[in-house]
Amino acid sequence: MTVATARIQPADAAACARAVAEAAGASRTLRIRGAGTKDHIGDLLPTDAVLDTTALAGVVAHVPADLTVTVAAGTRFADLRDALALAGQFLPLDPPYADAATIGGIVAANSTGFWRARYGGVRDLLIGTTAVLGDGTIARSGGRVVKNVAGYDLNKLFVGSLGTLGVIVECTFKVLPRPPVSAGAHARFKRGADAFAVADAIVRTSARPAALAISGGPDSAWELLVQADGDAAPVARTLDLLDQAARTHGASAQRHDGVPAVLETLNEVSIRAEGTVVRAALPLAAQPAFAAAAARLEGFTQLVADAASGIVRVALRGEDAVVLGGTDALLAAAHVCGGSARVERRPESLRARLGAWGDAEPAGRFLMHRLKEAFDPRGILEPGRSAAG
Amino acid sequence: MTVRAGLRGAALVSGLTDLLGEDKVLGTREDLLIYEYDGAVDTATPDAVVLPIDTTDVAKLSRFCHQHGVPIVPRGAGTGLSGGAIPVEGGVVVSFARMSRILEIDVANLRAVVQPGLVNLHLSTAAAPHGLYFVPDPSSQKACTIGGNVAENSGGPHTLAYGVTTNHVTGLEIVLSDGTVVRLGGKAVEYEGYDLIGAFVGSEGTLGIVTEVTVRLTPLPEDKRTILAAFPTMDGASETVSAIIAAGIVPSAIELMDQLATEAVEAAVGAGYPLDAGGILLMEVDGLRDGLDDAATRIEDICRANGATTVRRAATTLERDRLWAGRKGAFAAMGRLAPAYYVQDGVIPRTRLPGVLRIVREVAERHGVRIANVFHAGDGNLHPLILFANESELEGVKQAGLEILEACVAAGGSITGEHGVGMEKNCFMPLQFSADDIATMGRVKAVFDPAGLANPGKIFPTPSRCREFQLAARR
Repeated sequence: MTVATARIQPADAAACARAVAEAAGASRTLRIRGAGTKDHIGDLLPTDAVLDTTALAGVVAHVPADLTVTVAAGTRFADLRDALALAGQFLPLDPPYADAATIGGIVAANSTGFWRARYGGVRDLLIGTTAVLGDGTIARSGGRVVKNVAGYDLNKLFVGSLGTLGVIVECTFKVLPRPPVSAGAHARFKRGADAFAVADAIVRTSARPAALAISGGPDSAWELLVQADGDAAPVARTLDLLDQAARTHGASAQRHDGVPAVLETLNEVSIRAEGTVVRAALPLAAQPAFAAAAARLEGFTQLVADAASGIVRVALRGEDAVVLGGTDALLAAAHVCGGSARVERRPESLRARLGAWGDAEPAGRFLMHRLKEAFDPRGILEPGRSAAG
Repeated sequence: MTVRAGLRGAALVSGLTDLLGEDKVLGTREDLLIYEYDGAVDTATPDAVVLPIDTTDVAKLSRFCHQHGVPIVPRGAGTGLSGGAIPVEGGVVVSFARMSRILEIDVANLRAVVQPGLVNLHLSTAAAPHGLYFVPDPSSQKACTIGGNVAENSGGPHTLAYGVTTNHVTGLEIVLSDGTVVRLGGKAVEYEGYDLIGAFVGSEGTLGIVTEVTVRLTPLPEDKRTILAAFPTMDGASETVSAIIAAGIVPSAIELMDQLATEAVEAAVGAGYPLDAGGILLMEVDGLRDGLDDAATRIEDICRANGATTVRRAATTLERDRLWAGRKGAFAAMGRLAPAYYVQDGVIPRTRLPGVLRIVREVAERHGVRIANVFHAGDGNLHPLILFANESELEGVKQAGLEILEACVAAGGSITGEHGVGMEKNCFMPLQFSADDIATMGRVKAVFDPAGLANPGKIFPTPSRCREFQLAARR
């Protein structure tokens, strides 16, 4: 990555709008950056300046009984977590690098973890957004109420936009009371297919576990990890369901004291794994075959799946040609089975030859291009970073 | 009303007939009259009605209308409550009555692929043998269509815990106003690029027409507990809602009904609600059987601690269905009280319920109208039903509605939670959004529908119809 020279650090929405309008006037391109935990995502082209969001910080409004919180986008997720915990509440997201990442980065990168299984993803929790568009317009969408269909839901457009549509300056989320009990268990299987079958059996109940994670490697057993949140009785029953389903596949469940700590590690596979990581979002039933295909690849080192949502990450390592071949195979496989995929991490040596988005065009790409032009007419925000262009 | 259709009347009808065949086009005055209203209070007669049987028909129709400058207004069952299906600027109404099939129930992937004219409840009925259902459950679910749900981003009582339509749509096929067919998303939880589906759901037909929808199916809860609690006053009932949330309990539904609404429901449905209560809460918890009784007991204890005079748990499925029939039949039951009603849909932070409900009462007194309240209290989504008898009262009734919405926005809320802006509240958008906010939405509109033919006159304030409102606001 080229080191950009200029750095802008606005402290409020108005200052941010002035800075972006000024950059647009001079056709200076901007990288939008919070804590810098997402530099591995997307195709990073050099920009003229960095817009640092970390001075846009602090909880703006939190009325616990309304179950909503409004927070400035540069606030660290960890700080928001602490503020909500004082009221016995939480924002039910478990993004990777939660201690460092900022709220704006989490939204812009659609950064979710295993908890999506029970609580939904960023798109399901974000109810209000204030963003500065590429021409300096301050645009607000949604609001501070949990249900709202007034006008278009622009919140959704900013989720996963990687800063290409606007600089997110403030977000409002739904929050929840912290569950009285969180507990976990795991079961080990010889075959990946068994781990997926047991996960599927749980997905088809109304247990709604908080996490249903599968991890496997070339030489290790396949592990299914479950986190259950809620009252003691349904949590205990959920872990019983895991045990029962595991027994029909020749395994049994081991309970943990509290939540399995390894979940956090697995969540961060894209930064912890060495080499290249492909992230696929798949129809649920496509996961076992995709995992089997991944496990057969030369250079396969690890697979981590959010089995309740169909999000599968595969790490590859080896000679460049091996990794390039494996990556192509995974991108194609995701597409063939009705999903989509991206290269979420690759070594510097492969950056020039391995783009983030593969060859498959997202459906409706011409609309995405038009949208980018409409929101960022001078094309100054994170040029080229997103699959949308 | 601005009528701006390029091609009109008999010329339009004969052009459409040539294009699609006689059996897909309606053009006589008698036929068109049926399509001039929906579930709200505004009316306008279309120039023609088209009944497509597939996406190709819709694409052909759209190309034709684009060529001739004719607006296109999609219509499902016509149950909408903001005039979304009313051709306020003339043009063609597209009825999806013949595109109402379930194309696939994909049990393995927990998805269904359906046509837009499918009735909401029919999907859950068809999915039930697989232990699955479609979560959004608007009170009109026996009639309203999935396409309409997508257009309005519909909710329902159970969206408190499980989300509204947008949380349950993963794929769409849409036809743009120039006839381009675009497929977005699919059966995976998300796809690369911008979330165009997220922008499209709730766009009220103003970005294009939906011709196919891929939705999530959800495992049916193993069990449920349904509780009715009656309070002497509305304040007691609405304060209880906050007390339940503050106790860390998020039920799957918390519905509130006032005495006037109860009176109508009991006369029409006989749901067994106590007639002497000032406010009634209907609550549900669901999921795994384990712990449900405990959760229900905690809710009941909170209700009693907050002054509930009657607390009753449905003992049988029959009893539960009866309690819900009362809630879901509440709007229709208003006929027992008055020949017509005008319903608003404002949302407020739920802690503001008691104060805003008092303002609703003051508005009723000021205007000399009766207002019944039946609403999603857990979401803070009000549904004041303003009762009236004659068309001559409508202006005053609408003014009362506006004053309620102003109170909602002043409390930090929204002018609509699930019914949509439509042609009914487009003039009120500036209450909630700045000119820049609305212009940003306009940029999205121009991306999808540069010609401005997709359901014009909805969502965005229009100079001709909104001038009066703007003048009034300035005074």
